[in-house]
Amino acid sequence: MVEEKFEPLIVAFCCNWCSYAGADLAGTSRFEYPTNIRIIRVMCTGRMDPTFVLEALRMGADGIIIAGCHPGDCHYQKGNYMMEKRFDYVKKAVKSIGIEPERVKLEWVSASEGAKFAALVRETTQQIKRLGPSPFRLMHNPKQVKR
Amino acid sequence: MSEREILTRKANAAIDAFKSQRLRWVTGRSQVKVEIDEERYRRVVDSIMQDEIERHMIIGAIKEKGALTVEELSQSTGLQPSRIMQHIIALRRNGVINEAGEKNRQYLYQLV
Repeated sequence: MVEEKFEPLIVAFCCNWCSYAGADLAGTSRFEYPTNIRIIRVMCTGRMDPTFVLEALRMGADGIIIAGCHPGDCHYQKGNYMMEKRFDYVKKAVKSIGIEPERVKLEWVSASEGAKFAALVRETTQQIKRLGPSPFRLMHNPKQVKR
Repeated sequence: MSEREILTRKANAAIDAFKSQRLRWVTGRSQVKVEIDEERYRRVVDSIMQDEIERHMIIGAIKEKGALTVEELSQSTGLQPSRIMQHIIALRRNGVINEAGEKNRQYLYQLV
């Protein structure tokens, strides 16, 4: 069996008002970051249902980034606070199904922090590479080499 | 049961648990207007979350295989029979499952 080199698949849920604009700025400012990320725009991190994270992991994502506005800067006043509270439960649920909770991250990235967004993607990609493929990824693609 | 099956079943149960009204109610609050300290509230939510995930594992197993006994449920979910029984009592009280005859002198449980 030919083993493939492991390239993590990271799903990033970015809020429309800050982090998505931050990701956009990272692109227009030509900051380089790995191509392992797939960005999904949500209107607010408060819109993030815990099932989004669990579904993404079940479908084979190796890592999840939830990026929203800095505390106090939420376009909808308190959406990011709601996510912050919910995030603890998300991590616990991820742990309880047998997946490392470090695969799921919550970060604050504002619209002016393109460099921070690029650094976040680089750092997360490295971290997930160290952790190896998620058990669900291995289930979908058993050829994936563990490193 | 293979490791793969257990993992898939657990993930499905966790997703179903977060779709359930009970868990949505306690995790979706931005502010809690009850006289209870934060740490205690978190402990309560943690236990509700664990219960809901386990209950949805039971519901998932019955959905998949039809009516099952406590022993069979224990085999397919990996939970202790005593724990299964606790959940059976709650699910039965909430009208989610009921008895569907007997097998080897044990009650069979089906979804309502």
